[in-house]
Amino acid sequence: MNRRTFLLGAPGLAACGSARRPRLNVYNWSAYVAPDTIPSFEAEFGVRVRYATYESNEEMLAKVLTGNSGWDVVVPTHNRLEPMSAYGLLAPLRHDWLPHLANLAPQFQAPAWDPQLRWGVPYMWSATGIVYNRSIMPPLTRWADLWDVRLKGRLTMLDDPEDMLGACLKKLGLPFNTTSPQDLRRAEHEALVQKPLLRAYLNAEVRDQLVAGDVLAAQLWSTTAQQAIDSAAQLAFAYPAEGFPLYCDCAVVLRESRRQRLAHQFLDYLLRAPVSAAVAQYTSTATANGAAQSLLPATVRDNPTLYPPPQIIRRGEWPRTNPPAVQRLIDRIWTEIKAASV
Amino acid sequence: MKLRSWFLVPAWFWLAALFAAPFAIILSYSFLSRGVYGGIELPWTWESYTRLFDPLYLGIFLHSAILAAGATLLCLLLAFPAALFISRTRRHKYLYLQLVMLPFWTSFLVRTYAWLFLLRDTGLINTALQAVGITHSPLPLLYNNGAVLLGLVYGYLPFMVLPIYATLERLDPTLLEAAADLGARPWAALFRVVVPLSRPGIAAGCILVFIPCLGAYLTPDLLGGGRIVLVGNLVQNQFTTSRDWPFGSAVSLVLMALVTLALWRYLRRQGEILV
Repeated sequence: MNRRTFLLGAPGLAACGSARRPRLNVYNWSAYVAPDTIPSFEAEFGVRVRYATYESNEEMLAKVLTGNSGWDVVVPTHNRLEPMSAYGLLAPLRHDWLPHLANLAPQFQAPAWDPQLRWGVPYMWSATGIVYNRSIMPPLTRWADLWDVRLKGRLTMLDDPEDMLGACLKKLGLPFNTTSPQDLRRAEHEALVQKPLLRAYLNAEVRDQLVAGDVLAAQLWSTTAQQAIDSAAQLAFAYPAEGFPLYCDCAVVLRESRRQRLAHQFLDYLLRAPVSAAVAQYTSTATANGAAQSLLPATVRDNPTLYPPPQIIRRGEWPRTNPPAVQRLIDRIWTEIKAASV
Repeated sequence: MKLRSWFLVPAWFWLAALFAAPFAIILSYSFLSRGVYGGIELPWTWESYTRLFDPLYLGIFLHSAILAAGATLLCLLLAFPAALFISRTRRHKYLYLQLVMLPFWTSFLVRTYAWLFLLRDTGLINTALQAVGITHSPLPLLYNNGAVLLGLVYGYLPFMVLPIYATLERLDPTLLEAAADLGARPWAALFRVVVPLSRPGIAAGCILVFIPCLGAYLTPDLLGGGRIVLVGNLVQNQFTTSRDWPFGSAVSLVLMALVTLALWRYLRRQGEILV
């Protein structure tokens, strides 16, 4: 080979280098994969993954709504699928590219929010309930127990309008998904009655204060509650008797993606039982993958906080996205609650 | 164009790209309608501004102004003696100045989180108070107006110390001698000579503290535990949970307009600008 033919071949060689490997862009919730999930995918498929994380659906939506965000795969909560597909942001899933879809647990094969699994692959799920210190007697079982004056100053609710008002609605025996202004105003009244008892409206930050014993009871997501329980055995989780919201985060392929095939390969990779089980175990989150669940150690699989029995799950409700007028009323009520002086 | 004016090109570019353009975007957002799931949509409307005249939002503005004014006053009371001391001291002057600026070496977020650990029930302060027997149960130090005020004062104190120090440093010491010769006692000299002469520094410090306190959202969020809503939190919520970008833009613009108006009136009275 003389020098000229070598030079002709050089660009081809460069193409084999890392710079030309196809790149998949994945935008996911923080702490939602195991350490080797992404590297193993890169190695097996010979691709690079640009991976970044977000802390709220709004943060993700703010980028994705533009339609040219540069992301291929994102993981919205189930009730964001409908608006995202209505906005034309989602690519319909190609089931022929997702052979492991059958691994999903039965209740996620045809979920209420997406019965044909047209838009999203259920990934991980959780619920909102009550985490409390076992020193409280009798144990807390209902949302109404969070209006007990004995908890004054040692109680927190979530800093989230949907969850917070949802607990008030459930306490009143009203549906979580109500669109009636009267119902929401009654829920607001409950929240205002409760505010003097509250230490604060906190999300995941409450975990440390539960562990330290500063906070005796808190409205919290089951996943975060499990992390607190892992570090403090005196804590317990209750699925409130009146009912509670359930959330499922779903992996979707964006319509803007130019790597539809690769994006589907990634979704299918996440559906593999060992991959999903590793994620579930590492992140202490409940997987929607039935095959993965059976690979988990019995102590995890039978954990009543992460995997409650079916008779409890039946009390749960999957929140829907509110119509704009209702959303605006909720915003107003939320601001009124937060600005109320106690 | 003269060579000299070319030196301003980077500054003009900076101003256009990082101030004028974002400002124009926010201004146009504030006159649009909210998108159903965030973002903005046509048609153009005044609605975001008319909504502001709601007692609910006016109350939030008022609460923010009161807290910011309180923080400014406390900063002034703490900063003036410190600045006076540093300007009068001969030894270790630069050490003291470095100490004032030391907190800037770490992030504001981390420092505010540190207050959480100091103030909470099992935190350092409550543990110490109970250990020496001053209190028997933890004091509610966190998640109230006092905690927010403390966080604001802590965060913005250096912005008050430095400008006051700068004016006191330039103060002619012979003026104090003259005051003493004319029979002024030290306190009288302080309030009738030093304080009036350091007014430019005090004013600059107050502006530097009051304005960021008025728009603060991190401190009230972390130390107020979501029980307290200031304008900054109102704006933040519109862009996150409420998904109402036009209203959030309108609130932040009104805040900016109020601050600009107040500054303009003040500076005009001082004769600093003639517009």
